[in-house]
Amino acid sequence: MLSRQTLFWLSRVYDLPGSDARFLQAVRDNCAYHIRHCPEYRLICEAEGFSPDCLHTIDDLAKLPLLPTLFFKRHHVSSMPEWRTAMRVTSSGTSGSFSRVGFDWGCIFAEIPMVLRLGFYHKLVSPVPARYVILGYKPGKQDRMGVARTMFGLTHFAPPVGRFYALKWKDGGYLPDLDGAVKTLARWARGALPVRIVAFPSYLWFGMERLEELGLSVRLPKGSKILLAGGWKQHYAQEVDKSTLYALARRVLGVEEENIHEFFGAVEHPIFFNTCKKHHFHLPAYARVIIRDVRTLKPLPMGEVGLVNLITPLINATPVTSVMTDDLGCLTPGEDCGCGLKSPYLTVLGRAGLNDITTCAAGAAELLGKGEMP
Amino acid sequence: MIFANGELRSDREINAVIAELEIYDLPGTLSGPPLEADTVLDALEALGAELDSGALDPLIAQYAPPGAREELERVRPQISRAALERRLALELGGLAGPRPFGRSEVRPLGVLLHIAPGNMAGLPAFTAVEGLLTGNINLVKLPHGDKGLTLAVFQKLTQLEPRLAPWLYAFDLSSQYSGTIKALAALADGIVTWGGDGAISAMRKLAPPGCKLIEWGHRLSFAYLSGWDGMDLSPLAEHIVRAGGLLCSSCQVIFLDTGHLSVAERFCKQFLPVLEKAAASHYKTPGQAAQAALYARETALEQTVDRTGSGDLNFPGQSCSLTLRRDMDLELSHLHGNVLVKRLPRQELIPVLRRRRGRLQTAGLICPDSEREVLAALLARAGVNRITAPGHMSDSFPCEAHDGEYPLRRYVRVVDIENPQGRTETAPEQENF
Repeated sequence: MLSRQTLFWLSRVYDLPGSDARFLQAVRDNCAYHIRHCPEYRLICEAEGFSPDCLHTIDDLAKLPLLPTLFFKRHHVSSMPEWRTAMRVTSSGTSGSFSRVGFDWGCIFAEIPMVLRLGFYHKLVSPVPARYVILGYKPGKQDRMGVARTMFGLTHFAPPVGRFYALKWKDGGYLPDLDGAVKTLARWARGALPVRIVAFPSYLWFGMERLEELGLSVRLPKGSKILLAGGWKQHYAQEVDKSTLYALARRVLGVEEENIHEFFGAVEHPIFFNTCKKHHFHLPAYARVIIRDVRTLKPLPMGEVGLVNLITPLINATPVTSVMTDDLGCLTPGEDCGCGLKSPYLTVLGRAGLNDITTCAAGAAELLGKGEMP
Repeated sequence: MIFANGELRSDREINAVIAELEIYDLPGTLSGPPLEADTVLDALEALGAELDSGALDPLIAQYAPPGAREELERVRPQISRAALERRLALELGGLAGPRPFGRSEVRPLGVLLHIAPGNMAGLPAFTAVEGLLTGNINLVKLPHGDKGLTLAVFQKLTQLEPRLAPWLYAFDLSSQYSGTIKALAALADGIVTWGGDGAISAMRKLAPPGCKLIEWGHRLSFAYLSGWDGMDLSPLAEHIVRAGGLLCSSCQVIFLDTGHLSVAERFCKQFLPVLEKAAASHYKTPGQAAQAALYARETALEQTVDRTGSGDLNFPGQSCSLTLRRDMDLELSHLHGNVLVKRLPRQELIPVLRRRRGRLQTAGLICPDSEREVLAALLARAGVNRITAPGHMSDSFPCEAHDGEYPLRRYVRVVDIENPQGRTETAPEQENF
């Protein structure tokens, strides 16, 4: 089972061809593990005539049994007894149905080098202490939400000397406190320490609009950054919206575009995706993505739009090797980006079930109106 | 978000809104002039005119789920003035009038708390309209995922007719706020609950004794096919894809009037391409097609994981599927174009369907004309409340009952008033209107 560690301790974080062999071996071992330990996964593999021996080349990854995220919402499957897992994390389902994914210790041991290497690569790691304004949830015992943990994790790249949370758990629900966040920002802007805003994109948008409404604009100290996470699903890649967002950040916060970082990952696929300086999500060596036809679910060639299938051998505790998200997106050759990375990048364009692409502002309006979690 | 007295207010004001309701608004409104059905009809007519002119299209596009515009087009005739007037006459006619002791009058229950459903856009507004038509004050607890449509409709309605404002309140709260729902229930004379067993049991616990419970629980519907060879099955396929199994009236199981598995298998092979064709033409956008493909994939996985050794025969199609099961029970299908097929010879119909008594709603019937009367009578005796052509299972018909009852009748009470001059012994029995 060291094949997984061999992959995740890899130093060239965006070298896909160079990691193919390790990736394939790790997936083979990961699948074999789930087949041995997860009765449901075994049944599915048997029904589809799949075994790890079917994986000869990187293209064979398409043969992995595809499990939609809906499956994890309806079946809390596991390849490990709970006492052997390190933690359980849930997706932010609001309607009572959510995925529950267990993380094993080996997975956490593999995630640490991945996050550190990518953190250094994208210049997120800094020895200078920072103050954090989190436009998101405060993690607590009351929930096991992946997004809250991710945001909390993001507050460790620079040593934290203060944290303000804009969503607070009160009387059995989350209440947004944008005004409090705005006041804190204004106060910390006068200090010397860099400020890092960790936010759902939609919340950042509304926070900045609120600042502008109040006629406030602050200049955050040098080295300040904006880290956007978790709002992916409300924030489909629309270049117009993004450029408006960046311009607004420059205007009201004094944060330049290159200091705005975006991340995504899913509870079912906790890979640390980062944007490059051109704001594209290039595939790291620890994951592969297949875009699939919306009707037949067959793999599509580079550039075509379809359902996003995320593959990683990261987790042994839950069979999330090949997960079918309900997002629609496409892959573009890395060379087309211009940032220098060769690895293809993923653009998410919409979501299954929706007719149109929801704009950032409409999504946030709904969230703020209800004071609910996204 | 809260809608009260024609205005939107923040969730944080919930306790203040409830206190105002209890102390000022409800007693004030109930002491004032009653709400005339004509006022409501006028306002709805004005809203209907805006709808027809396309003025509401941006609102619908912004708030309603895909396909809502088409759905609305289908139900539009039911909210026309003529249709609502017909309903008032049919459902409440005959309740009031002279009686041997004096007279009977129809009065609203008073305050209705609606626990509104989330499976069909527009229903939360519709349940409130039924409450308004009968002269009640309506407190509507909106479903999760309402996305602002109902609030927008209520705002529009009260702008068109400000006199409706004190009769209409909406609460877009998460169900976690059970304390709030209990406080609202304490103000109500009747609670109208739409939803599954969970919602209904929860409301029964929260309702104070003496409060009238009006429950529109989840129902199951099915298609019944007898002698289908050579018949056009595409309306049934279109219904299955369009309704997605999400409505009480939508087909969960296709029952075949046969005892032979081979006949049922032959039906599946014959029907699958018809269903695929309906799916291909219904799921037009990539987003819709993707969702259908995901549901079909999920169905296949659930069949593998949950139904091992069951002997089910799977007929996976593109964006849809058929599952032939060996038992006869009426049960929930995999939904979203993934439907169950079972054998149910007509002589078994009553004992089998009786196991689901109180849950049955619509049967879509396909059979030769000569058999229609016999089969319809059999289905009605088994407890089915609606018998339609398969393509019309989820359509609403003018003047139809709801789950075997007239809803408006449940939202009113009859007040008997004795004539102080003494009983009118000779009052004629037939003097009803």
